[in-house]
Amino acid sequence: MWQKTVVIIFLFIIFALLQNSFFAHFSIFGATPNLVFILFFLLVFFAKKETNYQIIYLSVIAGILLDIFSYAYLGPSIVSLLIGGFLLKKAQSMLKSGRDSYPFTYYLPLFLIFFAIYEICFLGFNLGIIAEIIYNMVFASAFFYVYKRWIKYTA
Amino acid sequence: MKSVGNFSINKKNKNWPKILIGVVVFLFLIFILNIFVAPIKNGFHVLSLPIQKTFWTAGEPSSNFFGSLFNGVYLSNENEKLRQENQKLLSQVAALQSITQGNQAQSDVSTSCQNSGFKLVMAGVSGLDNDILSINKGSGDGVSEGMPVISQQGVLFGKILRVYKNYSDVMLISNINSVVNVKVQAASAEGFGEPSKEVDGVVKGSGGLTAYLDLIPVDAVINSGDVLVTSALDKSFPKDLLVAKITQIQKNDQKPFQQAQISLFSDVKIADNLFVITNYKQTK
Repeated sequence: MWQKTVVIIFLFIIFALLQNSFFAHFSIFGATPNLVFILFFLLVFFAKKETNYQIIYLSVIAGILLDIFSYAYLGPSIVSLLIGGFLLKKAQSMLKSGRDSYPFTYYLPLFLIFFAIYEICFLGFNLGIIAEIIYNMVFASAFFYVYKRWIKYTA
Repeated sequence: MKSVGNFSINKKNKNWPKILIGVVVFLFLIFILNIFVAPIKNGFHVLSLPIQKTFWTAGEPSSNFFGSLFNGVYLSNENEKLRQENQKLLSQVAALQSITQGNQAQSDVSTSCQNSGFKLVMAGVSGLDNDILSINKGSGDGVSEGMPVISQQGVLFGKILRVYKNYSDVMLISNINSVVNVKVQAASAEGFGEPSKEVDGVVKGSGGLTAYLDLIPVDAVINSGDVLVTSALDKSFPKDLLVAKITQIQKNDQKPFQQAQISLFSDVKIADNLFVITNYKQTK
């Protein structure tokens, strides 16, 4: 269990550094991929119902990293990810209605909704958000299939 | 059935104090974290700087590589060279225009600015997020909040937003909270020798590494290709620093001011090193 936690923390740190340095060069209309948010969303999305407590530590890790690079204070991203994480699980439980599967058709719309709300909350609404959403959607879709395959092999 | 419902409600009622305590503890921990926010951020940045700098350095050629799939490597390099050369020339034009407009004393100040008359601290760029740039110089290097940040071509990038011991955050002029007073300089060669009426405006950041020109009087004549330089009206920046070029004018008779789309000279993607002006006196 602790190995998994260490790997997750390591991934979050690498992703945070990548999105703020490497991927800054790959901006399209000012949009860059928010890898930390995507990884957080992915982990929460695939978290089993009985391990919902993981949302707390995932929010803290992802939120601290996002806040370190973006804001003067630590907290805004932690709190918003925490609320978003629990709302996502709630939405999933309503949508899945007992079935234990993670279809892409649930994943992508939920990602778009949560990411759009997150972006609007922090950056306000502007046309740049559309580019931001589309760009991140591509990464989120790719991550979904990588994660599913990874789980298949590690399960 | 009724008793089951009551049990459920009671269970929920019992959980509320626990949730409330959890929320309070969580918020308290965040509060504690914020007491140490400066050392946490500084420490993380110091530890991650080598990796971040490596990623940043790797990003530029990678970006060029993928860009070259569309444009060709040669065009990319050539474009970069021309851009730098163009910025230098525009910088000289800006200084010379001030001279032709007659105020020798003021132009001396602007020329000295263009020629590194200010005390500069060179800083390496290490990260970018939401129009906030991270540089590897902090309070230990004499950097403090509000200091202007420029490139070696005299292009304005922004000003220092937050300072930590070993690094600083720079608010780019494209940041949504950024407002810079500028003056418009005619791009045409004919206007170079003749003093023209100075047009003042404001460059407002719109996020996503873009900005726009605003508050240009309706009767003022501006054209696509005109260059915007700092006017120092608000004393935040030295005058005559290059800011942007007008690309498209948006005139609306119902509005009291003209707006224009602009192309910023500050290209963050190719900025490896920037300069912080540490001795420019600001009036707040």
